[in-house]
Amino acid sequence: MGEVIVITSGKGGVGKTTTTANLGTALAMMGKRTVLLDTDIGLRNLDVVMGLENRIVFNLVDVAENRCRLNQAMIKDKKLDTLSLIPAAQTRDKTAITEAQMEKIARTLKKDFDYVLIDCPAGIEQGFKNAVAGADRALVVTTPEISAVRDADRVIGLLEAAGLPHPEVIINRVRFDMVRRGEMMGIDDIIDILAVELIGIVADDEDIVISTNKGEPIAKNQLSAAGKSFRDVARRLAGENVPFQDVGGGRSLWRKVCAVFNR
Amino acid sequence: MMTDFWDKNDLPKGNTVLIEGPLRSGHKIDYDGNVVVMGDVNAGAEVRATGHIIIFGALRGMVHSGAQGDIHAKVLALMLFPTQLRIADHITCPPQGYEEIAGKAPEVAQITGGKVVIEQLIV
Repeated sequence: MGEVIVITSGKGGVGKTTTTANLGTALAMMGKRTVLLDTDIGLRNLDVVMGLENRIVFNLVDVAENRCRLNQAMIKDKKLDTLSLIPAAQTRDKTAITEAQMEKIARTLKKDFDYVLIDCPAGIEQGFKNAVAGADRALVVTTPEISAVRDADRVIGLLEAAGLPHPEVIINRVRFDMVRRGEMMGIDDIIDILAVELIGIVADDEDIVISTNKGEPIAKNQLSAAGKSFRDVARRLAGENVPFQDVGGGRSLWRKVCAVFNR
Repeated sequence: MMTDFWDKNDLPKGNTVLIEGPLRSGHKIDYDGNVVVMGDVNAGAEVRATGHIIIFGALRGMVHSGAQGDIHAKVLALMLFPTQLRIADHITCPPQGYEEIAGKAPEVAQITGGKVVIEQLIV
């Protein structure tokens, strides 16, 4: 029996879809049978990031409404045969599926896969509720910005209420130079506020933009630091003990910066 | 009269609720009595009580003690750095530069001389 992991954040644009694509790719590279599920109905992106947009025939809503079988909606990755994607519908909205339908789909998928990664839409409405419905585990993506951390905190509260009490957090788009100079929130500051386990730190990397546009997840790139960060998260997900890279920059520095912005 | 033994019958029939923290953004407590939170109260969370509020953790959210006008109500926190702090009908927010000194020691906020005054908790 596999594990269903929802990747969520509350705030939009922090990197949920990029994270889902890369963790899926990294897990599949480790030989894990992995399926990605895009629940951002109406604003689907995961297929684009995976470079699979032109292969879509059926989608998640078709599955939920029994217009096709589950494996008909599954698109195999271009290179990794352990990886597949179930895309979201683009012409419908979040109310097109229910929590019960999502739960059923997740339950069916985890019989055949080691990992089911659910890409959650931004927000905390129906789309979020659907995405969380069948999950066994939650990853919260945030960036070192007060607004993103605030939303992550809100989402962690909602996840706890939904029966996912121990979400783990990925801090994305960290600018280590800015952290060192005390111009950006440090990892400690964020974990201090959120009071949950850290599972990954991903640097801000121009190559991610390039790889996203090409539809080639950066996790495949052995030379990229961000790619390695995502592969590290995948190994931690699988239970390996992978040390975190040293970031530098303490809490006291950030406090001083807060003072500059007068909070 | 001074005493060193308080029998349960001598004590006022207070009402105090214990809440396990952390209270996260979007969480809201509204209680007729005193509130004790064991854990942090994060920014975006709200605690409102007609009596005292004690936060055994970092206070970053909004608190309102004496919510029905009790000017003797206090707010106490191990790290007092609220978004906004209200006591009775007084509404305050931390002054500029407060983050420099916040969190050094437990603090208590109360109305003294018609103003909300924050002092280090002497223990």
